Amino acid sequence: MRFLQISFPLFLVYLALTGNLTLPNLVMGALISSGITLLLPPIALPPFSFSRLPTFLWAGLRYVFVVAWDVIKGTYSTAKIVLDPKLPIQPGIIAIPSGTKTELGTALSAHAITLSPGEMVIAIDEDGVMYTHCLNVEDSARFVAEAQSLRKNLLSKMFE
Amino acid sequence: MQQILTITIWIVLAAHLLMAFAAVWQTLRGENAVTRLAGLDLTSTLTIAVLVVISIIRQSSIFIDVAIAAAALGYLSTVALAKYISDQKVF
Amino acid sequence: MNLLLQIAALLFLVTGTAVSFIGVIGFLRMPDVYTRLHATGKVSVFGLVFLLLAADILTPLATWKALLLIFFVLLAAPSISHSIASAAYRIGVPVNGKRDDLAPKVHQSARKPRNHA
Repeated sequence: MRFLQISFPLFLVYLALTGNLTLPNLVMGALISSGITLLLPPIALPPFSFSRLPTFLWAGLRYVFVVAWDVIKGTYSTAKIVLDPKLPIQPGIIAIPSGTKTELGTALSAHAITLSPGEMVIAIDEDGVMYTHCLNVEDSARFVAEAQSLRKNLLSKMFE
Repeated sequence: MQQILTITIWIVLAAHLLMAFAAVWQTLRGENAVTRLAGLDLTSTLTIAVLVVISIIRQSSIFIDVAIAAAALGYLSTVALAKYISDQKVF
Repeated sequence: MNLLLQIAALLFLVTGTAVSFIGVIGFLRMPDVYTRLHATGKVSVFGLVFLLLAADILTPLATWKALLLIFFVLLAAPSISHSIASAAYRIGVPVNGKRDDLAPKVHQSARKPRNHA
């Protein structure tokens, strides 16, 4: 199961790159992806079970839409700041506790925070506190906590 | 419609080339190493965008393969240079 | 249907160029490296994503390749800007701001300053 969890995405990437679905190409892709999986060192992955797959997919879909909405809002506000003649920025670094139990959850919430323009994670300490550089400290400090609690709920549904 | 699309694609190509030159100029007069690294990253992103526009103009998907290779190389070189700047060693 | 797809591609091209333009303007105007990274590392990447969506419609045989490149770029962009910002903080580029919650953590762990270019 763990073997398939790594090699099946690699197989899909191979198919997307070559783009034909004939039988020799499928066999070649399976061989290459299993070879790469055998060469990799063991990676700690979350446990997989078919009964939790619908919950995982539904929470993942909602997570993607939440992150996309954050990105659209962040791009709009960053564009307003950049095109303003006075350049109204108040940069600073704030600490955001991530609150997730797993390392993968912390990494994914740091990814989501950094992907939305206006906030950028600079360092993460051992307790999972993310030190985030913001373009507008007061605005970000106001809404980033509730956004993080929403993300934390979805991530804990996905991985726990 | 086809004509509007063609003209727009050429305008987009010219705009991306101009933006790439602006990024190179700001990279050359950046104030420290990290700013120049950020400029190099912006230049590589704009180069990938130019490759994508060329693939639309030539109507061939081979340029998207080139863009994938350029994206992977740009990612690895930027991360390696950032690690070299912060630790004074690569590995 | 064909006309609708072409109009969608036109909108994607114009939006992508505008978003990339905002990123470059931000890179030219912002005062220091952290604020510049907000513009370059992310906003210009979304311009690239819109161009790839247009290429998805207009170029034959490119659908899955373009989607793969979108996925890769969206996965790689935060780690690039995080690594550059972390390097900048590590070599001591000052944060021009009102708040710096990270500074006490770094000073108590006895960071030795390095000379840099």
